[in-house]
Amino acid sequence: MKRINIFTATVFALGICAFMPSTKSFAQSSTKLTDPEIASVAVVANQNDIGFATIAKKKSTNKDILQFAQTMATDHQSVIDQATALVKKLGVTPKDNAVSKKLLSDAGNTKKMLSSKSGDAFNKAYIDNEVSYHKAVIDEVGNVLIPDATNKDLKDLLQKVLPILKTHLEHAEMLQKKFNQ
Amino acid sequence: MSTVTVFLRSSLIALGSMIFLNGCSSPSDENNIPAETPEAKPAPSLYIVQIEQMKFLPADITVHSGDTIMWVNNDIVAHDITEEKNKSWSSSLLQPGKSWKLVPKSSADYYCSIHAVMKGSFEVK
Ligand SMILES: [Cu+2]
Repeated sequence: MKRINIFTATVFALGICAFMPSTKSFAQSSTKLTDPEIASVAVVANQNDIGFATIAKKKSTNKDILQFAQTMATDHQSVIDQATALVKKLGVTPKDNAVSKKLLSDAGNTKKMLSSKSGDAFNKAYIDNEVSYHKAVIDEVGNVLIPDATNKDLKDLLQKVLPILKTHLEHAEMLQKKFNQ
Repeated sequence: MSTVTVFLRSSLIALGSMIFLNGCSSPSDENNIPAETPEAKPAPSLYIVQIEQMKFLPADITVHSGDTIMWVNNDIVAHDITEEKNKSWSSSLLQPGKSWKLVPKSSADYYCSIHAVMKGSFEVK
């Protein structure tokens, strides 16, 4: 559900309904992102998922959900740490941009939605969002951030992040199946 | 080895015959071969499983009793190695760049309890 919201908002804002299943899910235009902008998108995307995990740890009592949320918090923090270290090494300052701003505002809506739910409805909403969020971020990293990155170290880091996101997606889908049984 | 060698030496000395020595050269050589390698068991080996791009590589291996398996975490996130069926053993949290060794007594399926979709196995022969 959430994924459709992200897509439709982007697509209608741009008036490109024909590209509904566009690979550039968060992209606001065809303008290439600069490396400082990519760094900002990467950090925000990871921070958002840590934010969702924080809510899950407060609201859920389900063992699988709590464990998954802990994995998300730990792994996404590791990625942020790596990105922060790289940015420092390169002397780059992450620069917010249309994509990172949209990611941030969408996450705000998701957090509100999650906070309004409890019990099994919360667990289901959390894991459904984890599936759609990881799909959207995989799409963004693979089809926008990696191709746009010019610095080799930044590209390499993003390439290392991709399998982490894919494993999270598989893990989330496994739990989603359990909750939908 | 020493027992056989001592036995051969003492028999040869007792008989003190060059002819007998020549005549016995073949069987004594044969006796010496197994004496030099007491058991036909190979020396223990070290098997390395790389953890890379959220996968155990190779995921399935076969080892012999007494061999060591070492897992090396090349990823940028922490993993663990946990026996899957009964959780009968587990490495502690394996941080990036760290490794963990096990001399397995029996075959097992294992997984990463942090990323439950990461799986591997080893067979102990
Ligand atoms: Cu793992």
